[in-house]
Amino acid sequence: MGDPVDSMLDLMRRLPPTRVEENVNSLIQICPDYADDLLGSVDQPLKVLTDHATGREYLACDYNRDGDSYRSPWSNEYDPPLEDGTTPSPKLRKLEISANEAFDTYRELYYEGGVSSVYLWELEDGGFAGVVLLKKVMDPSSPDEPSGSWDSVHVFETVERGRQAHYKLTSTVMLQLVTRRAEDTQANTVGIQDQKASDHGSKSSGEVILGGSMTRQTEQDWPLHDSSSHITNTGRMIEEMEIKMRNLLQEVYFGKTRDVVYDLRSIDDLDKTRKQRELQKELVGFIKR
Amino acid sequence: MANSDERIQVASAFILQSPPGEINDVLNDVRVIVNDDDILEDGLLPALREYNLAQFILADVPDADHQTIVSDVARIQDSGEEEERFLDPRSKTSFRFDHLRLATSDPRSEEPDPAAEPFRAALESAALSYLAAHYIDGVAAIFSSQPPSHFTVQIVSNKYNPTNFWSGRWRSQYYIDFAESKMIQGKILVNVHYYEQGNVQLETSHDLSIPIPPAIANASPNAAVNKIFALIETEETRLQTSLNESYHEMSEKAFKGLRRALPLTRQKIDWDKVTGYKLGAELTASKGAFVLAS
Repeated sequence: MGDPVDSMLDLMRRLPPTRVEENVNSLIQICPDYADDLLGSVDQPLKVLTDHATGREYLACDYNRDGDSYRSPWSNEYDPPLEDGTTPSPKLRKLEISANEAFDTYRELYYEGGVSSVYLWELEDGGFAGVVLLKKVMDPSSPDEPSGSWDSVHVFETVERGRQAHYKLTSTVMLQLVTRRAEDTQANTVGIQDQKASDHGSKSSGEVILGGSMTRQTEQDWPLHDSSSHITNTGRMIEEMEIKMRNLLQEVYFGKTRDVVYDLRSIDDLDKTRKQRELQKELVGFIKR
Repeated sequence: MANSDERIQVASAFILQSPPGEINDVLNDVRVIVNDDDILEDGLLPALREYNLAQFILADVPDADHQTIVSDVARIQDSGEEEERFLDPRSKTSFRFDHLRLATSDPRSEEPDPAAEPFRAALESAALSYLAAHYIDGVAAIFSSQPPSHFTVQIVSNKYNPTNFWSGRWRSQYYIDFAESKMIQGKILVNVHYYEQGNVQLETSHDLSIPIPPAIANASPNAAVNKIFALIETEETRLQTSLNESYHEMSEKAFKGLRRALPLTRQKIDWDKVTGYKLGAELTASKGAFVLAS
């Protein structure tokens, strides 16, 4: 038998992304011993919380969680309050404040809305790690408009090597898009007269959900001038990664999944195409003779 | 560890969510996670059966060279036996089905309803031509249902490509009522899974109802079935085209609205300025460039 955690992660890569929270909870219910492994390795849609001290929204994930409380990047306070909640060292907290400001600018420039949060923590070997979170939700302005949500989770680790720093970045983007449609098509067949189209025309209603997540990794070295270099370095890496992933998501969501549908059913008449091809072959054979 | 009932319940819920063609992968994961084959062997059977019926799983018809669809409609009602049997109306054979191994056994020939059979057979041959025209690997099954003059058309098309990390399934079902409502009630479900370094799924469901024009109802069986499939063809092609429109809308309205490809300036961010502006008061003068950020 294999490793249960590997199987749990494989399972999460197969089951519908729209139900990831429910499925993670079910796994924890039957295997409570693996709760930490699961919560630490399965990306779930980010929760938006409000910082009571500043009134600003922030994002909650496993990295700013201590017990049942979440730390706000704006006030550094836990909610519900914790006496001895884990916080970064004063030096790292200073960098965390600057990083939150920088990525808040990044968020406004690329997302024009939404919420961002950055959390940093010390690593045992002397370096530090962090997570940059971005989330935006679009509610439909009318029932037949599409809705969507975007959640980015960028986890990085860095080790300083003299005037250089080495970065390892793992980025996950969760994207969900939904469209609902309902239409009455005018009766398009002969023989229907003096009757309301809504009673006797064809009717159709449907729903299209495109949901999921993609993950990519990169490792890079960048020069280090002072501690704020970590922000410009991770900023450039994350910006580059998000541009790459946005293209990738576009390709997979709107290209690949559509191609598979056309592999299942063809709009063109395959029989006709086959016959045309045979005819063409015959003609070529005829000319050669 | 939770008790065995809870574990079966959770494992069953996972089985029912399996993407097209990945039931064995999900089953293997569930076996490792639950780590108790004894309770799974019998405990998962109801979920496997429910999954197979809902997903129009294909069965090799005994002694025939075609496949048929195992579904709720194919189930023989009140057979008076302990073991459930499924009907392949094309070969007029019923069989038992192993929901874990997807194997058929114990074939038995079945007498079709003589009143409904000619029309059902005509629908079947029209269905096969329709499949050849629009499906690469499609399978259809046509059942005559009760009350008389009711028929059910089922179509399924699967593509599994684990080497390239994707799979897909198209299911459609049409309940044709010639007797009372003179309507075709249809449902089309399309699922796609793409899982190379990620997990992206397309789920679409589409309900439709089409009135059967009197011209069809009064036509000869052969003319009528071709017209029925012309209506189905129109609707299925319309759905595929509208899916393109939905994709376009989701891309233009939602995707682009969630995250821009580049900032309004059409340039990547100058990170030295972002941190500099925020950190150093002496750079306040450059604030104009980041007015959006404030």
